[in-house]
Amino acid sequence: MIRAIASTRFRTFALVFAITAAVLYVVCDFAALPMFTYHPGTGRIDPGFAPARRDEGPAMYWYGWIATSALGASLTGFAAAILPERITAKIPLSLAWLAPIALLPFLIYSLKFYWRWS
Amino acid sequence: MDFVLDYVSLTTLWSMLSITHALLAVALIGALTHQAVAVLAPVRQGGTTGFIRRFRSVCGPGYTSAVCLLWILTVFLGGWIYAKYRIYVRIPIEQQGFLKTEGAFELKEHLTAIGLGLLPIYWYLWNNSGESRYDSARKWLTVVMAAICWYAFLIGHVLNNVRGFGS
Repeated sequence: MIRAIASTRFRTFALVFAITAAVLYVVCDFAALPMFTYHPGTGRIDPGFAPARRDEGPAMYWYGWIATSALGASLTGFAAAILPERITAKIPLSLAWLAPIALLPFLIYSLKFYWRWS
Repeated sequence: MDFVLDYVSLTTLWSMLSITHALLAVALIGALTHQAVAVLAPVRQGGTTGFIRRFRSVCGPGYTSAVCLLWILTVFLGGWIYAKYRIYVRIPIEQQGFLKTEGAFELKEHLTAIGLGLLPIYWYLWNNSGESRYDSARKWLTVVMAAICWYAFLIGHVLNNVRGFGS
């Protein structure tokens, strides 16, 4: 019984985590919301979004986007897991694989700088 | 990691990491492709034997933990190399005008990060492979992850050809 409940709660957590992690990642990309910014030229880490510093090379946000979306998805997943099963059972499992496909055009659009003839 | 540099040059070290990243990706793509083909075209009783049939007839659940571990390790190693790529690879290829190659690579980074978030539900669905109500979600999630893996692998290979080993 306990094992079954734990399994159901984990399923809810995992499903909500998958959907929200994907959505939050795209939101973080569009809204410039990294948890931190890494400057690979100097090894400096700034909290939140920080532009590239003059003469210190580029700034990287990818690690910060993953951290933000993982944290947000974990919190959302845990919150969903404590909801009653009659509610969580209504979340379609298909959203786990549909979400990345639906978000693909947004990701491609976010890289529009690269899709041009130089 | 500095002690390693007593034995190999910095360029050799990054090349070794890049090759290890590629080998992990090869193992991942093999496991995921087996699983994806097994759920898309499952083997039925009877029929002929041969390479294709054997390729399809793998025990899907047996690959689950390996796929999760390989995905995490590949992304971790790729993320480590990514910092060097940002300075020593991306800037030169941008200057050479390979914008679409660079864009395709950035898309790969986005997709593999999203794939990381799919691992818990992927793991759950495959560890409950006896539940027929999960069949559809398990099948299409595996196919999506295999597609991400193939895209990432091919783009990584293209980028390595543009400016990878030893550069």
